[in-house]
Amino acid sequence: MTTKGEVLVIDDDPDFCAAMQAILEADDFCVRCASQGAIGLRMMREKKPDLVFLDVIMRMPTEGVWVSEEIANDPELRDVPVIFLTSIVSSEYTGHFPTDRPLQARAFLDKPAPMAKILDLANRFAGAPTTPPTS
Amino acid sequence: MTSELPFETERVERIGWLIQLRWLAVLISAVAVAAARIAAPGALPFRALLYVVGFVALYNAGLSLYARSLPVETIGDRDTGSAIKLACVQIVLDLIALTALIHFSGGVENPMILFFVLHTTVANVLLPRQLGFVMAALAAVLLAGMAGMEYSGLVPHHHVPLLGEIELAREGWYVTGFVGMLIVTLGLVSYLTSSISARLRERDRALMKRHREVIAKSRELEEVNERLRAIDAERTRFLTLVTHELRAPINTIHTCIELALSGHAPPDKVHDILERVMRRTEEVSQLISDLLRLARAREEARRDEPLAAVHPAEVLRGVVDLMRAEAESKDLFLSVDVDPELRRVRANPERLKLVWTNLLSNAIKYTEPGGIVAVSIKQGNEYMVGAVRDTGIGISAEDQQSLFQEFFRAGNARDLCPIGTGVGLALVRRIVENLGGKVWVESEVGLGSKFSLLLPSEKE
Repeated sequence: MTTKGEVLVIDDDPDFCAAMQAILEADDFCVRCASQGAIGLRMMREKKPDLVFLDVIMRMPTEGVWVSEEIANDPELRDVPVIFLTSIVSSEYTGHFPTDRPLQARAFLDKPAPMAKILDLANRFAGAPTTPPTS
Repeated sequence: MTSELPFETERVERIGWLIQLRWLAVLISAVAVAAARIAAPGALPFRALLYVVGFVALYNAGLSLYARSLPVETIGDRDTGSAIKLACVQIVLDLIALTALIHFSGGVENPMILFFVLHTTVANVLLPRQLGFVMAALAAVLLAGMAGMEYSGLVPHHHVPLLGEIELAREGWYVTGFVGMLIVTLGLVSYLTSSISARLRERDRALMKRHREVIAKSRELEEVNERLRAIDAERTRFLTLVTHELRAPINTIHTCIELALSGHAPPDKVHDILERVMRRTEEVSQLISDLLRLARAREEARRDEPLAAVHPAEVLRGVVDLMRAEAESKDLFLSVDVDPELRRVRANPERLKLVWTNLLSNAIKYTEPGGIVAVSIKQGNEYMVGAVRDTGIGISAEDQQSLFQEFFRAGNARDLCPIGTGVGLALVRRIVENLGGKVWVESEVGLGSKFSLLLPSEKE
């Protein structure tokens, strides 16, 4: 079976991760999840994904912003598209968002995002079929 | 804001003016003496007059230096300050100098004698009433003494030819009448001036008192305002946190339900997702209950909730009975040690139960199977000392700082148990502090934690 690209979901909510995994796997994506920014970065360095869905408010109010900047500053990872998937816009933490530098993300989805939109973006950035995993 | 009375500041200012005026008087006197010497050489004891003028200049220089060194803060609102002493010294010296000047320049014949009235007025404006009278009396004594001694010949009379041929200072009736009238004038001036002065001072003091009250009141209001602002900021911060904590599970539930409804995922996945939804709704419900309890605890802190004498061990036993099954299911050893001398505490039993429940359920939740949870209550002199110890995952020193804040969850606690409200310990602290007690934690990562609790005991 051919699968589409590999998607990494970085979100501290395990249930949300599970839902994202179910949504994306049903559409033939290969999905991994990380519950913290630092863990997500480590997983990306171990195996580079095709796309990252990134939460913003995790243990720190703007942890996701830090992760996106780490990705942008890493020559190995900077071409991985990052999509913010967060409720920060409608939350009172909006003020924590940096305004002095561009956000390192290709798209921005407000939680709860429609499934169709999630799949649309995933297909756009990581929809190309890849060779199936050998294991 | 300065604390001195305006009147006192004024007194210092007026003393300053007096010193300036005296320099002017010294200058005019010196010029007058010099002019008189040219106009009528030998008529008056010019050397003596110059000595007097020199004496005035000398003490004025001294006063000027002293007044400059006078710290305004030492001037209190009572009439015993340095300013009054300085004013007294000046007036006494001025009266003596005036008497000497007049004596050497014609005595009672010299119209400058009217300056005694001026000095008395100044004394009564500057000084408290009794001192004003004393100065008026001194002026009267000096005036009468000079006139009497010149009349009787005890001291020489220096006649000024310019003032007329007749030596009035030797005319008994004139001297008596004129000096008597002058003394009566001094008395009246003293009485009138000091009356007006005293009334003004009284009004000034009342005004100052009012002024101080207004300042104190406005400071009080400022403090209240500050406190309200802090409460408001705290409430906003709390609301921010609450909305985020409520929104997160709702967003997840929304995404999960959308997935389930879409038919996009296989049925086994959907089943798992729906189970998660159910757990999350329980979490939201738990969070809302915790928030309500927290709100109630905050409200109680404001209202001084009536408390009853409660036996803490009874409440603890009730909680332990409920928790034992949970501990055993995790294969934890749960021990309870209660001091037989334990006295009662003033508390609301429901709230106390919540404290024990939260501390115990945390200990059970964050201790790996096979571990130990030990609860103890000991009786101190004035306090009951409770402790919940566990051999659980422990809390890092950094996380201990924020542990009792609303919605805070330690990093390793999130790892072990991702779902949790982070309200329990905040609630514990709020309740314990409402009861006049204290709660704190000692912990080491990997070794375990000890939550200690002090509550004021009833006197038996």
